[in-house]
Amino acid sequence: MSGKERLNIFELIKKVVFTDFVKGLSITLGYNVRGSMTLKYPDQEKWIPYKRFRGLHTLNRDENGRELCVACELCSKACPTQCITVIPMEDDTGRGISDRVAKVWKVDLVRCLFCGYCEDACPTRAVRLGRDYELACSDSSCNLKQREELLVPQSVPESFEGGVVAASTFEASPAGLRVKADLTKTKKRPW
Amino acid sequence: MSTVKINGKEVTVKDGTLILDAARDAGFEIPTFCYQADLMGVGSCRMCLVEIEGQKKLQPSCITPVLHGMSIHTETPTVMSARASMLEFLLANHALDCPVCDKGGECELQDMVYKYGPHKGRHAEPKFKFQEKDYVLSPVIIKNSNRCVQCMKCVRVCGEVVGANVLGALGRGDHQEETSFLRSFLDCDQDGNCIEVCPVGCFMRLPYRYKTRPWDLKGKDTVCPYCATGCRMVIEERDGIVIRAKAQLGVGLNSETLCARGRFGFDFINSPERLTKPLVKRFGTLEPASWEEALGVIKDNFIAAGKNIGGIASARLTDEELYLFQKLFRSMLGSPNIDSSARWAPEAVEGFIKATGMDEGGASAFDCMESDTVLITGTHLSDENPVTDYIVRRISAGRAMNLVIASPRAMKLDSSASQIVRHNAAAEGHLLDAVTLSVYGGNVDKLRDVPGINRIKDARQDDLAGKAGCSADDIKAIARKLTGEGSVGLFAGTEFLRYPGSIPGLALLKNALKALGKKVTIIPVLDRANQRGAWEMGVHPGFGPGYSPVKERGMGCADMLEAASSGELQALYVVQSDIVAMHPDENFVRGALSGLKFLVVQDCFMSETARLANVVLPASSFAEKDGILTNQEGRAQIIRKLLPPPVKAKRDIDIIRAVGETFDRSFGPKNPVLVLDEIRKEVGMYGEVSLAFNNKRNVDNKLDLKEALVKPAGLAEGLNASGLETKLEPKTDEHPFLLATGNHLFHSGRLSRKSPTLIGLLKNAIVEISAEDASALGLMNGDKVRIKGRYYEAYATLHTRSGSKGGVAFIAENYDDVPVNRFFRRGEGVPRVSITKA
Repeated sequence: MSGKERLNIFELIKKVVFTDFVKGLSITLGYNVRGSMTLKYPDQEKWIPYKRFRGLHTLNRDENGRELCVACELCSKACPTQCITVIPMEDDTGRGISDRVAKVWKVDLVRCLFCGYCEDACPTRAVRLGRDYELACSDSSCNLKQREELLVPQSVPESFEGGVVAASTFEASPAGLRVKADLTKTKKRPW
Repeated sequence: MSTVKINGKEVTVKDGTLILDAARDAGFEIPTFCYQADLMGVGSCRMCLVEIEGQKKLQPSCITPVLHGMSIHTETPTVMSARASMLEFLLANHALDCPVCDKGGECELQDMVYKYGPHKGRHAEPKFKFQEKDYVLSPVIIKNSNRCVQCMKCVRVCGEVVGANVLGALGRGDHQEETSFLRSFLDCDQDGNCIEVCPVGCFMRLPYRYKTRPWDLKGKDTVCPYCATGCRMVIEERDGIVIRAKAQLGVGLNSETLCARGRFGFDFINSPERLTKPLVKRFGTLEPASWEEALGVIKDNFIAAGKNIGGIASARLTDEELYLFQKLFRSMLGSPNIDSSARWAPEAVEGFIKATGMDEGGASAFDCMESDTVLITGTHLSDENPVTDYIVRRISAGRAMNLVIASPRAMKLDSSASQIVRHNAAAEGHLLDAVTLSVYGGNVDKLRDVPGINRIKDARQDDLAGKAGCSADDIKAIARKLTGEGSVGLFAGTEFLRYPGSIPGLALLKNALKALGKKVTIIPVLDRANQRGAWEMGVHPGFGPGYSPVKERGMGCADMLEAASSGELQALYVVQSDIVAMHPDENFVRGALSGLKFLVVQDCFMSETARLANVVLPASSFAEKDGILTNQEGRAQIIRKLLPPPVKAKRDIDIIRAVGETFDRSFGPKNPVLVLDEIRKEVGMYGEVSLAFNNKRNVDNKLDLKEALVKPAGLAEGLNASGLETKLEPKTDEHPFLLATGNHLFHSGRLSRKSPTLIGLLKNAIVEISAEDASALGLMNGDKVRIKGRYYEAYATLHTRSGSKGGVAFIAENYDDVPVNRFFRRGEGVPRVSITKA
């Protein structure tokens, strides 16, 4: 019986000194002293995803600037939604690493589910899912990405580690809205 | 018979059967690279190694025949590891550039490694490379030797089947490279059979290079639209453009082989010159119009012409279209004037049908080649029907038989012949008469009652031989072979139609041999895909469908043109036939057509004839329709639609029906399947023809589908084969060469001239004479020469051929720059020309 009594005394003391109340309040007060967790996107900050992120496709070049893509069409064969179209052609002027290059390489982003099978299938690591994720637009014209567009290096280089928040500027021009991140000014994620 | 055990299963096979064939028959799979049923075994790839009990080493099953009592194992761990090791060695130096290779996705090496191979290689050394870059071997072949597996199939198919012998092997061991002599540019038949047999991406099509992946292609089974051999092939398209034609192992009578026309000549389908909308002539120029308007104009003018109307349909249309065409004329327009050839007289056609026994049903070329003596006459088989030439070469090499070739021009097949006879041009009849006379000399009693024997009975052998231009000994030798033991096969070509005076000679020889109790198989050798079908569908002024007699005999092409120039014929309906380019004497045709009140031309292209038309209707090519084609043997084969006709063009069957429907709404049947049903009902020959075929790769090469042969008609009594004679211009010193014509190896009619690849193989006209004549004239191969006839002269490149008979100049009918029909003048016979240095 004595044990039960002691427990009751313990509970009683807890109630008298408002332990639960202090516990709760400390979390609330903690938020007061910690900085804001809201990302000031798009005009001040932008989230730079990790390397493993799968965003917009990018077509890579080798160190000599030659296209890595040999238009083998394995990406389009591997694609579960059949959103990639590749038409090869012959070009031995040194445009690509082989004399077989892509005449057409396009991806329909509306159908793409960013599964990354295309990069797995690629024998030359030409196609990678990059870290551009701002794909929304006000008409459907931007949903079809062509080779020329994808060959332009993306704003986040593949070597960049990612998983940080970068300082950004928001630019609204007639060409569209752009959020430009400054990769030299980064900070750890606030959460 | 030998009884052997394969994997414990007891099978009994013929003596001398290869272990490989026995195992495959028993249902066991053995992988191979170098084995092919038609080719000589070499046992070079070592993929087919099997274990035989009592023998220490594994044996190659593709060259080892079975022995009675053998016990063979094909799936033991030793065999499996041997296969994997073989593949590992092949991959040691294989380029492994599959992502770039055109064969990637349908490569036998890929499949084999996937199935049997080691999935890891142990060879870390740098790979041996023959060359850094692919090299172009011919206008249609590109080569990458780094991928070679040394199976030698290309070399063997080139020598044994095609007979070109331009490929060989350089080097030894794994440095052995199958290529042309010192990798020089190939001057061969350009048929690409080396590409088709190559199991890897070593030989590749140049026009197909880097266009697509095999899994993107959508294909349909079809039949080659050029000559009448009737080769089965598959045409494949991507995004509405046909980019490849291929033949499949063991499918159709051609198996994997095709000629340059078939394999590379399909691209006229994609031509930007295709007609896409109807054109109607207004104030002297052809202007685009709607179908309703064009059909309205046709109806008004056909009604105005009444019965004075004629029709010429191309022998490349399907049987259904041709049947409906003759039905349109005979039952709807009430006119008997229809023809399917702009080149040949109707009487010659009737005589030829009778002489070759086409009305007695189809005959298989394989059966013909089973004969003990085969005579090839009236055709330049190697150029006109290359795949028939391959069949003859392959079979004649494999068995003991006599092969006699009689032709004025030397040909590739001569090397397979046991006797070659060079006779004068247009003298096939004299040659055959001389042979028959020689046969008659020894068998007077048996041959006394043969119809027509009286014509030659009293002739002198020397006269006939002299007219034929060959020695009496040659003729006796042929006669001896034909009358020897066994059966006789004859290949009779289009020269008989070109020079109709030869037809009675052919008929007489056939009858004489039959009277001697011999089995005679005749294969007519024709040069248009559905020429035989056109005749059997009754597109001929002298007989109806199935060679049935007609009530009223109509006019053939030449008579129609004659009637047109005299104003008697008012309207002409021409379907896909270019009569201006094909009928002898172009000026006469142009004059006649301008005398017409109304000319309708239905064609894929703006042909010379279409330019003169009042209404031009856009028609479709073979890739755009369903139907059946009947080849020269009488084999009915299906073609399937791959693409829709371009823009507003329509299928020919729909156009012909639409023209009929302007007169009677019920004209039909309404679709090709129903037309075929009607053909089966109306034309007894086609009643039970089987259209089924095996389109699976078939390693046994069972090619001869006899159920597809048409049945005997038994109606040919009404054929009018009278008045057959060959007219030649008299020989003068001014014009020493007799002008021969036909098709070039790379072309067939004018249709193939719309194919960019085939034009790339042969752009400008050539004239061919024998090397002896050329050296007598001081001319060299490749010289630019002037060809002068009495009415026309032209310039062309000289091609000399050694071994041809002198006094013959050959210009193919295909060239638009030297239209050979301009040398002809109506009523004056086969022209003679002179050749001088330009």
